[in-house]
This record gives sequence, structure tokens and C-alpha cells, in this order.
Amino acid sequence: MEAPAQSFPDYNESSSNGNKDQSEEIGQDEVDEYENGGEESNSLNAESGLRTDRDVLGSFFRRLSTEQVPVRVHDIIIQGNNKTKSSLIESLVDEILRNATSVQQLAGAARYATMQLENLDIFDSVIITLDAGPRELPGTANVVIVVSEKNPLSGDFGIYTKPEVKSWTLEAALKGKNLFGYGDIWDTLVGYGWGQSLELSTGVSVPRFKSISYPLSARISLLSQDWLKLSSYKEQVMGLSLGLFSSGNHNVSYNLNWRTLTDPSQMASPEVRRQLGHRLSSGLKYAFKIDQRDSPLRPTRGFAFASTTHICGLYPDIRSLRFVRQEVDLRYAIPLGLYRASLNFGISAGFIFPWGDGFLNKSSYIPERFFMDGTASPVCSLKGPTSIFGFKPRGLGPAEPKRVSRDDSINANSDSSSVDHIGGDLALTCFADLSFDLPLKVLQNAGIHGHIFACAGNLSKLTDNAYKELSLQKLRNTFRTSAGFGLIVPTRLFRMEANYCYVVRQQEHDSGKTGIQFSFSS
Amino acid sequence: MEDEGQSLTLVARKSFFGLPTACPVCLPVYIYLKFSRIPFSLEFNLLYPDSDQIPFVEYDYSVAYNNEKGGVIQKLKEDGVVDLDSEVMSIPEWLSMKAMVESWLADAIMYEIWFGSDAKPANKIYFSDVPWPIGKVLFLKRAHFAKQLLGITSGNVERREEEIYRRAELAYAALSSRLGEQKFFFENRPTSLDAIFLAHVLFTLHALPETSVLKSKLLAHSNLLSYAENLRLEFLDASTSSAVPQLDPSSSTSTRGPTYWSSKPKGKTKREKTWEEKKFKRGANQAKFTTDMLSL
Repeated sequence: MEAPAQSFPDYNESSSNGNKDQSEEIGQDEVDEYENGGEESNSLNAESGLRTDRDVLGSFFRRLSTEQVPVRVHDIIIQGNNKTKSSLIESLVDEILRNATSVQQLAGAARYATMQLENLDIFDSVIITLDAGPRELPGTANVVIVVSEKNPLSGDFGIYTKPEVKSWTLEAALKGKNLFGYGDIWDTLVGYGWGQSLELSTGVSVPRFKSISYPLSARISLLSQDWLKLSSYKEQVMGLSLGLFSSGNHNVSYNLNWRTLTDPSQMASPEVRRQLGHRLSSGLKYAFKIDQRDSPLRPTRGFAFASTTHICGLYPDIRSLRFVRQEVDLRYAIPLGLYRASLNFGISAGFIFPWGDGFLNKSSYIPERFFMDGTASPVCSLKGPTSIFGFKPRGLGPAEPKRVSRDDSINANSDSSSVDHIGGDLALTCFADLSFDLPLKVLQNAGIHGHIFACAGNLSKLTDNAYKELSLQKLRNTFRTSAGFGLIVPTRLFRMEANYCYVVRQQEHDSGKTGIQFSFSS
Repeated sequence: MEDEGQSLTLVARKSFFGLPTACPVCLPVYIYLKFSRIPFSLEFNLLYPDSDQIPFVEYDYSVAYNNEKGGVIQKLKEDGVVDLDSEVMSIPEWLSMKAMVESWLADAIMYEIWFGSDAKPANKIYFSDVPWPIGKVLFLKRAHFAKQLLGITSGNVERREEEIYRRAELAYAALSSRLGEQKFFFENRPTSLDAIFLAHVLFTLHALPETSVLKSKLLAHSNLLSYAENLRLEFLDASTSSAVPQLDPSSSTSTRGPTYWSSKPKGKTKREKTWEEKKFKRGANQAKFTTDMLSL
């Protein structure tokens, strides 16, 4: 019994059980042999059939291990997609499968195709079976894709952490998946945070749309943030966000927002007071990110680079908000070997400046300025020049005295600051961090490790003609620095650090504090 | 009463209609400070049309907001910055006249701004510097609020309008009778009553169109017109062009901050010039009459 020339066993790729079913193609003679004969001859034939199967399979795998078994995909059959458009599935897998020229390549392509379909998050399971093609077309294969579609409606409810701002939010989300068969995912989210921040948003994303081969998204949101205690303003942002392009390292989005700054406390400093009111912001944001570190929470080797450019003012009305904002991050980790020690370096920089007529005399929009503090680790975050250990929230940079009132009923609460932290237009941070395992095995197993660090940062004003007074000397003299050591406890959700920070240098109105501090990064 | 060491800044709504500030709530504060002869600078907030904090006056690190404790003028009195009313506060007639101006005449102005002339004055004063969709939404919101304040519903529009104008007419008659040919209403010196009423008159004459019912009722009282003209010439015109900063309509910032623009008083319309010519002739006759009186 010979297997037909250039035939191969079925190769079944399944995502739901992870096992590979291996079946062997059986010739007509073998079928006849199974059908004919008595019971004894049947058992003898069954044994013989099994031996044949093993022989054929063995021969097949020997061929696979020693040579490229040529094959061409004849047909791709999709089953189980009651709602999902076949064109969507085909657009994701067709090219990669048809480009395979050997069984080995086809197996790899099938695995990749499975992953692509799983990433849509609209299927419970994806099973790809490689079957022999028509007998009259030897050397061909059919790919059978069987999908099981998810329940279109799902919901989430829970408490989520936002470690960077030391706040927690209670969030409820309702998701509708694949409602129109294009892999579209709709979601509505309501979040309420401690400190009276509120987010309400609804959005949709599609993996592909017609000839556009990359994901698109759109979101309408209402966000309210309360910075009354630190900067005497609350901001409400209502707007539309469109994800225009997203692929790997690049992301381009457009945002149109109605932004309102208010001061219900009526205690704001002059700088904040002058910015209260309504603005329309319309801008493009381009983000590039490459992270080749071995771990984002405890990097020991590799580098990361991120750049975000935001150009605001792309609106025919000249009264809209106009500025250019740029920030960059560079991180590098060098392994040192002993006790999994590694040296992390990093530098971040950013600036914001208005544009348009008379831009040199204008002031930048406060919520878009840079703020720094020690609430998040600079090692992990790639969110611009925002982190320097040893400083309280928004505790570094330009500040202005709040309103003074002779009326006790108007005065601010005793626990709030007497200054408004108004942020800076030019920001620089850098750090060096040496992390290492601790000698205790139990701590090593839990991932708890130690580190020693040194940080420096500067936050300066450029706008309102302040750039005229800026010089390298002044920048050097106004750098804040801190150093310390601590313990890092990684959890499933975030990385917590307990550090002893010593503030080496700070400026007037900074809120640097030497002592034990906690920071959180996600 | 006056702290000569303090530097004051009045933050108000933009200049328009040839007035240093076109907002009928901001103009009394401007005039009050002018009466006090305290030097102050004027800045505009153009991006917060729905705020009740404006106008406000900054002095040192303190601020007198419009929506606090009786308003800006009251706060300036309490903080000892400027108090023009110390000698008239105990006069009942002064109090009642002031209450009448702050209620009946203020309602009439609000009605004219929001519901007369297709709300064009309101658009020009509050929303002309706010980007289009925001300005439109805020306008609708403010118009609805004004309707609620005036107690206007779809079923009582005409009745409320008649009531508002009738009260304004009564107020004008009472004020005209009280004023006579005096320079100020009380004690021959300016008080906050003069500041508030002068602002009302100037706004009515400059900002409202010729077809305005309120304007026609005011024009019937010649002594009120001459009163306004004389005070305008004495306290406002002399320093108007230097006090009002330069406006850059394409910029959202001034040298001081991002939302503050400055403005030159705009050229008056042909209709306004015609009214101004008539006013000048009438005023000239009035001035001659007064001089003749003084020579007696």
C-alpha cells in the first residue's frame, strides 16, 4: 500500500486545544480492505491499517525533517462565520497562506494566521486544518478555517489602578463585538475616579475597512479632571478622537476637543485665572515607539525609544488653540551579570510652544504643559519627561502664589498649597538606575529586587517672553537632583516601589521631600 | 478710601460699540474706578463668555470677583480699596434708587440684549471671539438662562415685555425727576449709583439699535442724556484711548496672558454718528444753558 505520490497527511492547527491532530490520507485500496472481510479479518486488517498509518506518517515526517516538501494552496475554505464577513478573514490570512511554497512554510503560516484571527477578539476558537487538494491537482492543499464566533455582548466592571496619578477608578464597560461582521468592536465606558475625575466615552474600532489594511478607530469622550488642589483649575474635555493609522511602531491620530478650564474655588493665581474659559483644539498626534528591552517592568538589556509629536491648531478658525508639543524618551539597559544586576540609563525631553501670529508673546496652554513628580518610575514609563524621584505630585517647576483673601470663608483649605503649580514649557529629565536581585531566594522567586538610583530634572518656562531670560547657565543652575535606594515589588497589575529619596537640590516652591516614598508604574 | 500704593487691574469683556467695555455688567465697574481717579489697567477676557466671575479686579494678590458678596464694587469697599458711597449709604432714597437701577433697568438691558434685535448685541459682546461651534452652543445656553432669569415663558412673552418696558419707563421718570439739573444724583459727588446708571445710559445709547424701545424711552428724558454726556466727557473720554489696550483679533494672548486681548474703540457706525451729531447739538445747547445758569 503506497501513499499517493507527493501526498501528505492532514495537518490540523487548532487554537482551542493546542494539540495537533494528525491524520493520514488513506487510499481507496485501503478503504476496500477495511470494508471487506469477516470479523477476524477485520481485526487483522485494522492492525495492518494501523501499521500502515504509522509507516506513512513516519515516512512523511522523515521527509519533513530532511527536505522542503513543496505544496501550493489551492483553496481556502472558511466555516463557522455566521456573522463575520468572509472577506475580513480572507484579507487577514489569504496572502500569508498562499505565499507558502512548502508544507513547513504552510504550517508556520497557519500558526500566524491563527494568531491574526485570535487578535480580532471576536472568536472563541480558531481551528485551521490543512487538507489535501483535489486528486487531479497533486501537490496542492486546501486550508480549512473553522471559527467559533463570540457572544457579541460582554461587560466589564471593576476597580482599576492608575498608578501614575496615584488614583483608582471605578469603571464599567459594555462591549459589542462584531455587530456588523467586520470585526468591529464597540464599547461604552463609564469611569469614576477618586478625586472626582469622571470619564464617559464610547468608541468603535475595526481591524480593516475596505481597502484600508490597518486598524481604524473612533471615540467620543467626556473627561473631567480635577487639579484644584495643586493648580486651581478643573478641566473638562469633550471631543472626538480618530485613530487614522496604526501599525507596529507608528500611530497617527486626530483629536477635536472642546476644552474648558474653570476655577470653582476662585483661588487661582493670575496665570491660571487668565486661562480660564473655553477653547477648541484640533490637532494631529504622531507617536513612534520601539521597545527592544527584555521587560518593560524590569528591563535588564536592550533599548527603547519613543517620540510623540502633537500639532494643534489644524482648524480653519484662527481662534482655536494652537501649539506644537514634542517629547522624546530614550532608555538603555546593560546587563551586569551578577545577581541579575543591570544598569538602566534614560533621558527624556520635551517642549511646547504656541504658533500663529504673535506667538512669541503668547502663553502656552497650562494643561498641555509638562509637569514632573516622583509618582511613577522613570525606568518603566515612556511618557515623556515626567518622572523624578523625591517630589510630590506636580511638585516641581514654575509656581505662582494663589489668591489671597481677607475673607476667611473664601480662603483655601488649610491643607492645600498656597501656590499653583503651573508647569513648564521646556522639560528635561535623566536618570541612572542600578537594579539587582536580593540575596534571599524567596524574594528572588517573588521578583522582589532592589535598586539604587540618581535622577535630575529641569522644568522651565519659555513662553510669555520668558525664553529671552533663558540661558545654559540658568538651566544648569535650576536643575533639581535626587538620589536614593529602594525596594521594587512587581505585581500582576503594576510595579510598586518603596524608596528612600534624598533631594539633593530643589528650587523655591518645589515640593521635594527627603524620606520614604512610594511610586507606582504600570 | 483710596490706596494709592496699589496697582489695580480690571478684567472685563471686550470693547465694542465705542465703549471701553461693551458688557453692561463690566461697564459700571470701569466707570466706578474712573470716578475714583485711581489708576488702573484694563484687560479683556474673551474666552469665558458664560462666567459670572467677570468682571473682576485684581489688586496685589487679592481679587474682587463679580459673583462674590455683592459684586466687585461692594468687595472693593469692604477691602478698603475704594469706597465712594460712605456718605450716602444711610440715605434711603439713594438705596432705593440704586435697587431700582440694578433690578428694573438691568432687566430691561438683559431683555434688549438677548431678545431684541435678534440678540446681535449679545453675540458681539460675548461670543464673537469664541470658535464657532462653542460660541453657538454657549449662546443657546446663555439665552435659555436669561429667559429663566427674566421669567419669560412661551405663554407670557408679551406680558413680560410690556412689564419690563413699563418699569423701565417708570425708573427713567423717577431718576430724571431726582436728578433735575444736577451733575450727580446725590451730594454733588459721584457714587456707585452714578456709575451704574451712567453705564446703563451709555450702553443703551451706543449698543442698542435705533429701533430699540428702551432707547426711545430714554431719549425722552433730555436731562438724563445731558447728565450722561457731561460725565462721559469729564471722566471717560479724556483717557479712553490710552486706557483701552490694543486688540489683536488673530491672537489669543496678550503680553500679559493667553486670553487677554486689547482693543481700540471701533469706528462708530453711520447710524451712531447721526445720533452723535444730534446729541452734540442738543448737548451744546445744554452746555450753553448751564453756563448761563452758572453766570447768574
